[in-house]
Amino acid sequence: MYQYDTIDKEMLADRSAEFRGQVARRLSGELTEDQFKRLRLMNGLYLQLHAYMLRVAIPYGSLNPTQLRKLAWIGRTYDKGYGHFTTRTNLQFHWIKLKDAPDILDHLASVDMHAIQTSGNCIRNTTTDPYAGATAEEVDDPRVWAEAIRQWSTFHPEFSFLPRKFKIAITAAPKDRTAARVHDIGLVLKRARDGALGFEVIVGGGMGRTPHIGPTIREFLPVNRLLSYLEAILRVYNRHGRRDNIYKARIKILVAALGKEEFAKQVEAEWAKIGDSVDLPDTELARIRGAFAPLGFETLPDRSEAFETAKASNPAFARFVRNNVKPHKKSGYGIVEISLKAIGETPGDATSDQMDVVADLAERYGQNDIRVTHEQNLVLPHVKLDDLPEVWAGLAAAGLATPNINLVSDIIACPGLDYCALANARAIPIAQHIAEKFRDQDRAEQVGELKIKISGCINACGHHHVGHIGILGVDKKGEEFYQLTLGGSGAEDAAVGSMLGPALPYDKVADAVDTLVDVYLRERQDGERFPDTFRRTGVAPFKEAVYADAH
Amino acid sequence: MKALTANRLTDGEVVFWKDGRWVERFADAQLWAVDDPAAVEAEALGKGQGTTVVDVYLIDLVESEGLWAPLSYRERIRALGPTNHPHHGKQAEGGAVVEALQHASGAARSTGRVNLIKRK
Repeated sequence: MYQYDTIDKEMLADRSAEFRGQVARRLSGELTEDQFKRLRLMNGLYLQLHAYMLRVAIPYGSLNPTQLRKLAWIGRTYDKGYGHFTTRTNLQFHWIKLKDAPDILDHLASVDMHAIQTSGNCIRNTTTDPYAGATAEEVDDPRVWAEAIRQWSTFHPEFSFLPRKFKIAITAAPKDRTAARVHDIGLVLKRARDGALGFEVIVGGGMGRTPHIGPTIREFLPVNRLLSYLEAILRVYNRHGRRDNIYKARIKILVAALGKEEFAKQVEAEWAKIGDSVDLPDTELARIRGAFAPLGFETLPDRSEAFETAKASNPAFARFVRNNVKPHKKSGYGIVEISLKAIGETPGDATSDQMDVVADLAERYGQNDIRVTHEQNLVLPHVKLDDLPEVWAGLAAAGLATPNINLVSDIIACPGLDYCALANARAIPIAQHIAEKFRDQDRAEQVGELKIKISGCINACGHHHVGHIGILGVDKKGEEFYQLTLGGSGAEDAAVGSMLGPALPYDKVADAVDTLVDVYLRERQDGERFPDTFRRTGVAPFKEAVYADAH
Repeated sequence: MKALTANRLTDGEVVFWKDGRWVERFADAQLWAVDDPAAVEAEALGKGQGTTVVDVYLIDLVESEGLWAPLSYRERIRALGPTNHPHHGKQAEGGAVVEALQHASGAARSTGRVNLIKRK
C-alpha cells in the first residue's frame, strides 16, 4: 500500500497540533460553538445524540494490520470497544469525548491515519473497488488513481469550501462494486482498442432527497489527464453550484439543471483553459504506482488439496466459500469477504477484538492487506486457498464467518436514530429484524443475491434509493414509519427504486420484506435476481401482497 | 410538563437542568408545567452557559406508568441510549424511570427542538 512520506507525516502532525489548540480554545470559551463547529467538522468530529462521533478516514478503504490494530485500540481505550464501518469505507467511533479527540488524532497520526476529508464541503474520501489488485476483472489498479486524487484533493484551497460535499468513486472492473453511478463523480477505467487506458467520466449522480443516476459526460478521458479534467468539473461546480440553497447545492442539481451536454461543454471549455499543468507527471504517477505493485504471489496450482478436502468434509466451510470467497487473478488464491452482518448484530460494527483478529489473519495469511467495502464489510484480498480453512476457522471463532455476502441479510444500514442527530427513525433494529427472518441459511441462499439498504433519513447514508429493496425511515408526527422502494441498484445496472406504497409502521417492515421475498420466489423465472423479476413484473404483485397483509 | 436538555460540551453527554445545574439522569431532571415561565427562564440561563453545554432546548413530556417521559421518541433514545446496545448509555442503570421511558409511547417532536432547528 501507499506509504506516507515525510511531508505527509508532517502535515498530519501539524493538523493534529492545530486541532489541539482549537479544542483548548473552545473549552476555555475563546471560541463559541458556532465558530468551533466548522473546525471540529473539518476533523471529522460530529456531535450526535449520546456523545461526539469521530469519523476516521480510510482512504479508498485500504488498511494495513498496524492501522487496524490501532483502530481496535482506540475503540477499546476511548470508545466502548467497537467501531462502525460506513458506506464511505470510513470508520466511526460513536462514544468519543471532545477532550480526548486531540489525543486520538495523535494516535491515528502515529499510524499515518487521520480524519481529514470525512466531513465538510470538500472532496470526501474517494472510494474504490475493494477487490482492487486482486480481481482479474480490472483493467488497471484503481487504487493508483484514488491515491493520486487523495494527494491532489487534500487541503486543496480551491476545493475546501465547495457548495456542498463531494464524493468520487473509481472502478476499474465492469462489475461495479463502488456504486459509481450514484456519486458526484463516478470514474470507470476502461481500455481502448489500441490498449490505451482511459476513464468514462460520470457526473451528477447522487442520492439524498433528489436521487439521480449520473450521466456520462465523457466516454473516454486519457488517464494522464485525470486531474486537470476533475479540476475543470469542480471549477464549473464551484462557479454555478447553488450555494443559496443547501437542498439544491449538490452537483447533481447543477448537471440536471444545465443538462449534461451544456455541463460537459462548460467543463471542456474550462479544461482547455487549465491545460495540462496540474496533471500528474509520469514520474510521480510511476512513484504512486510503485506503491501498489503486485505483491509476492507464489506460483500455485489452481487446485488446493487442503482447500478441496476441507470443502468436502465441512459443510459450514463449503457454505462460507460459496458465498464469501471470490475468484482471485492468481491461481491458488482467493478473495475473502468478511461479513460484518452477523445475524442479530449491528450492520457494519466490529468489536475491537474482532478487528485484532482480522489484523492478525491479514498479517499471517493475507499479505498485510485489508479492505473496507462500501457495503460495510471487510475483505482480505489475497489469501492462499491452502490457508483458507485456517482463515475461516479464525474468523468463525471471532463471530466473523457469517456466510451471507450479497444475500438478503447482508444489509446496509446507517446508524439511524439510535445515534445520529439527523435521523428520523431507527435503521439498525429494522436490519436486525429482517436478518432474523432469514437466519435459515438454506433459505437465504435459495433467495440468492438480494441487496437491502436502509436509511434513517432522507440524506440516504444507507443508500436506500439503490437497494433492490430500499427502506427509508420517516418521522410521522414523531413516530417511526418506513417507506419501501423496489428495483433500485447501485451497480453497473444502476437504478433508483420505485415506491411500493404508503409507509409502514416499525413493527410491520420485516414482515413486509418477508412477503416481498415470497412474491419474488413465486414470480421469478430462470436466473432472475430480485430486481430482474421486479423490472419484468412491475410493482403490482409485490404491492398487492404487502398491502393485502397489512390490512 | 417540560424539561430542559442539552449535551455537555466536554464529552457530549446528554444532560438535564436541575435547579441551576446540569445532571445526567432524566430521573433527576427538573420538570415544569407547560405554561410555567420558569422553564423559559431556565432555557435562557442554559443557553448562556456556552462553555458547559451545547444545543440547549426544552422538551415536552408525556405521562407513562405514573411517571413523566419525553414525548418524542428521539428524546427518549437520548435519555436512554441506543436500542441496539441495551448496556450502553443511561439505560444500563435501569430503575423505574428508565423503565417508564422504555414503555412510553407517544409522538410529536419537542417544540423546543423545532425552535432550535429553525434557529440554525
